Amino acid sequence: MDAGSLAMPRRLSPLPPERVPAISNTRLAMVVLIAGESMLFAGLIGMYLVFRLSAATWPPADQPRLPLIVTALNTAVLFASLVPLTRALRTDSTTTRARQVRLTALLGGTFVLVQGIEWTRLVQHGLTLGSSIYGATFYMLIGCHALHVLTGALWVAVTAVLARGDAFEERHPGALEMCGIYWYFVCGLWGVLFPLVYLY
Amino acid sequence: MRAAIMAGGALLCGPAAAFAQSCAMCGSSFSPNDPATRAFTWSIIFLLAVPYTIFGLAAGFVFWSFRRASDRPRATIIPMSWRRRPAAPASGPEEA
Repeated sequence: MDAGSLAMPRRLSPLPPERVPAISNTRLAMVVLIAGESMLFAGLIGMYLVFRLSAATWPPADQPRLPLIVTALNTAVLFASLVPLTRALRTDSTTTRARQVRLTALLGGTFVLVQGIEWTRLVQHGLTLGSSIYGATFYMLIGCHALHVLTGALWVAVTAVLARGDAFEERHPGALEMCGIYWYFVCGLWGVLFPLVYLY
Repeated sequence: MRAAIMAGGALLCGPAAAFAQSCAMCGSSFSPNDPATRAFTWSIIFLLAVPYTIFGLAAGFVFWSFRRASDRPRATIIPMSWRRRPAAPASGPEEA
């Protein structure tokens, strides 16, 4: 008599269904991050409003004007980057996803590059951080946003490298979505900052 | 007790006007026609509104996410009877 013949057949109860949270931890973390970032920019916009509304003339007479046309075109480039990102988030094809994320990173990098070129021209024309309160508020507010765009563009670029393989389906299920949420936030923020600083 | 509460209230409310003028940037710093007054007013209103908006949006998103996940297992609600049920017979040793 072996040990196997003594084993009693048991009816195994089915495993309980895996609990899927209504909101994933990564998505909740992004909500908290974006809420904190929004408060940072709210403080900066509040600072800008104080100086903007209390100034008799804005911008000051001896300060260079901001490049409106180029920045408007650059804004179109930034908003255009949302199209491939949305396609990348919706498609099931790995190849299409990788191509669309690469295009998003390219458009984001173009925005940062044009902003940098425009800033170089503004500095050459005398608009610096210490030249006036106009320059200080401009570089603080727009510079803080540019830093976020740069971070987002690097994030999208890293995601584009990861998107070449099947990394998203296996090891990083939420990487592309989190990157997309951050990029949507950055673009939405520019939708507030551009009219406030360049048009108002 | 009531006298203590009234005394506390008087202590808090009495110097309120003096406290309101203690901030160097508010109220007494600018003349009524100073544009900085308007600038500070709008900035304060903006900074008051933003935290509520952000918290409301974040809370609304979390609430919407939980409502959207309607296929999640929810706790079963068992209606409780208010009538007291008869006590179960004791399962002690029966007498012969």
